[in-house]
Amino acid sequence: MGEDDSRVAANHLVTGAFFLVLGGGLQLLSLMSLRFADIFPITYGRLEPMANLTLMIGFVSISLIGGIYYVLPRLTGARLSVSSLARFELFGIAGLVLVGLLAIGFGFGTGGQPFGLPWWINLPMTLLLAVPALVTIGTISDRSENRSYVTLWFVLGGVIWLPLLYLAFSSGDLPYLSSTAVAYTDVFFSAGFVTMFLFTVGTGLFYYTMVRELDVSLASRQLALVGFWSLGFAAVWWGTAQLMFGPGPSYLSGVGAALGLAFPIGALANAANASLTLEGAWDKVRDRPDLRAGVLGLYLGVGVAVMAALAGFRSIASVAALTGFWQAIEYAAISGVGTLLIASVSFSAVPRLFGRELYTRRTKTFLTLTLTGSVGVLVFMAASGLVSGYSWIGGSNSGAYVDVGEGWGAGLGGSVETMMLIAVGFAIVTFFGQLAYAATIIGTVTQGKAATQEVLVAKATVDE
Amino acid sequence: MSDLLAATSTTLGVPEDLVRRSAEARAAEAGSNVDEILTAWGGGEAIVVTSSAAPEPPPSVEVSSEPPAQQEDVAPDIVIETPPAQTAPMATAPPGTYQPPVLVGAPDKPGMIILGAIGLFLVVLMMGLIGPSVATDEPGSRTSEIPYSQTAVNGQRVYASLGCAACHTQMVRPVVADVGLGAVTLNDTNQVVGDRRFGPDLSDVGTRMTSSQLEATVTGDTTKHPPHNLAPKDMTALVAYLLESRNSEG
Repeated sequence: MGEDDSRVAANHLVTGAFFLVLGGGLQLLSLMSLRFADIFPITYGRLEPMANLTLMIGFVSISLIGGIYYVLPRLTGARLSVSSLARFELFGIAGLVLVGLLAIGFGFGTGGQPFGLPWWINLPMTLLLAVPALVTIGTISDRSENRSYVTLWFVLGGVIWLPLLYLAFSSGDLPYLSSTAVAYTDVFFSAGFVTMFLFTVGTGLFYYTMVRELDVSLASRQLALVGFWSLGFAAVWWGTAQLMFGPGPSYLSGVGAALGLAFPIGALANAANASLTLEGAWDKVRDRPDLRAGVLGLYLGVGVAVMAALAGFRSIASVAALTGFWQAIEYAAISGVGTLLIASVSFSAVPRLFGRELYTRRTKTFLTLTLTGSVGVLVFMAASGLVSGYSWIGGSNSGAYVDVGEGWGAGLGGSVETMMLIAVGFAIVTFFGQLAYAATIIGTVTQGKAATQEVLVAKATVDE
Repeated sequence: MSDLLAATSTTLGVPEDLVRRSAEARAAEAGSNVDEILTAWGGGEAIVVTSSAAPEPPPSVEVSSEPPAQQEDVAPDIVIETPPAQTAPMATAPPGTYQPPVLVGAPDKPGMIILGAIGLFLVVLMMGLIGPSVATDEPGSRTSEIPYSQTAVNGQRVYASLGCAACHTQMVRPVVADVGLGAVTLNDTNQVVGDRRFGPDLSDVGTRMTSSQLEATVTGDTTKHPPHNLAPKDMTALVAYLLESRNSEG
């Protein structure tokens, strides 16, 4: 039975690596299509949602769910509940992502952001994304312990929020919803996915990896508590800031700016907690790619969260809203923070699950390229967004853009296009980092030196 | 018991006091005596067996997030489910493997976390999604609804399926950057709002461009706009939608 549980977790992590490469390639193409619009048979309007679907659901969701299935028995002492359903969920989600790619590519998408799928994909997807919640709650109810390590909160929150978020997102397809509601649905999901699922579960899994690998105690349960609930509460505010001054009610400006601060507070609390925990063990962190990935992911997460919160203030939103500034944040959150946090748990779990040592030839490359690439895109795309925003203001004042509307290409001279070109260059760097991640996972499974395998022998199994 | 305790401690690689307290807690829970528990653990069933492929890592003790001083009254410290071998032969891990430790923290109620998570989501949903989506003006008093023809409504579907909103907004805001783009968009708009503006805002594009200019732009003939190879019917519908997008004439 324990082998089944391990196989479910391992299959999720390996499948996630496949989708990272696919999604990373699509993301690169979508960014290139912004700069070189006429060389691709599929335009940015479809490439971007295809990339988002692959990365958010195919890579992030599947990988983090795999991480959850890996830690659950190790946090509860019980075998995974309804693991057969968990296996089905993997095939279901992976299949729906592939079908969704075809649907968007062939024009059956709804045009929503971050990806607009038809209802006949959204409906089963919502149900499948609820499976991890069933498995998690079922496993916890089977446990013999009455004590919880903090990772269990993050996991519980994440698996409950994910299907609810997706359900709210899918409601944007309902025919009687107003255009304004649809717009808010889109930003609600994008922002909620990052904070309520990616950051939450990714951080929780790193708390497990860190303590498990170094055999140290977590510095503060209270800081973890602050981090967990802050991330949950921060969910929508940095998303609604993207529509500031838009057709929504004016109270959102003030409320959003204040509550959006919960995002950096949560990210900072978790990063500080990890730093305190690792005090005196930094030399070990340098030698461990799983720990390095997690630490870098948390720190990059703080930067992303601060930028997102700042953009929630009216003064900054009047310049940055609707520009590449927000796309930069989303890119860094998913391709940077998400990849690093997932790599942390994968690099720790895959060797134990397969009984092989981590294939380390590409880990340094992965860490360097992923961090460099995602930070580069973050900086240059955010800068291009700010220049666009200021150019729009200047253009409107002078009347220069009144006749043609406005767009990012209308930025000062060719500066915006140049910065976007540099950002594309960094996106290529990120993509090579993503290839290195997949090479590490596949290399570990196929070429890693034999090592002791971790096998679950849970009480529930014995009692049978 | 001390010899047995020492042997078990050595086998597990765990300090004696932790092993003793855990064994006592386990014995109390199982209704057996401490020696039996130590014998089972010391025998190695279900905890560690030697690896034929690599050096065997020491079994870890779970690490609590609480400082040790606060855990004195919390048992057990080691949570490795290891029933006596004679009654549970299935509990033995196969050769070349080891059983992971169970990481636990402080006493907790996951039910409260679940309720809290659901409650928090509902609050966030109300404030961040439902609230902003509810119309605040009386119908007809202020409106940015545009009376699109049926052809234009079909064109709006083409607009959506092409993903035009990934680059274009149809949202004019009361900010300096949007001066001159048309009337400010209200929350009863029936245009595709969007949240990205890599290309121009299209709320009022019908007042700025003719149908032939729009078609040339969509096909990528005249600008840097990506080329769309649409069926004639879809092109007609899309151009109609864009041409009828005139929010400044409301």
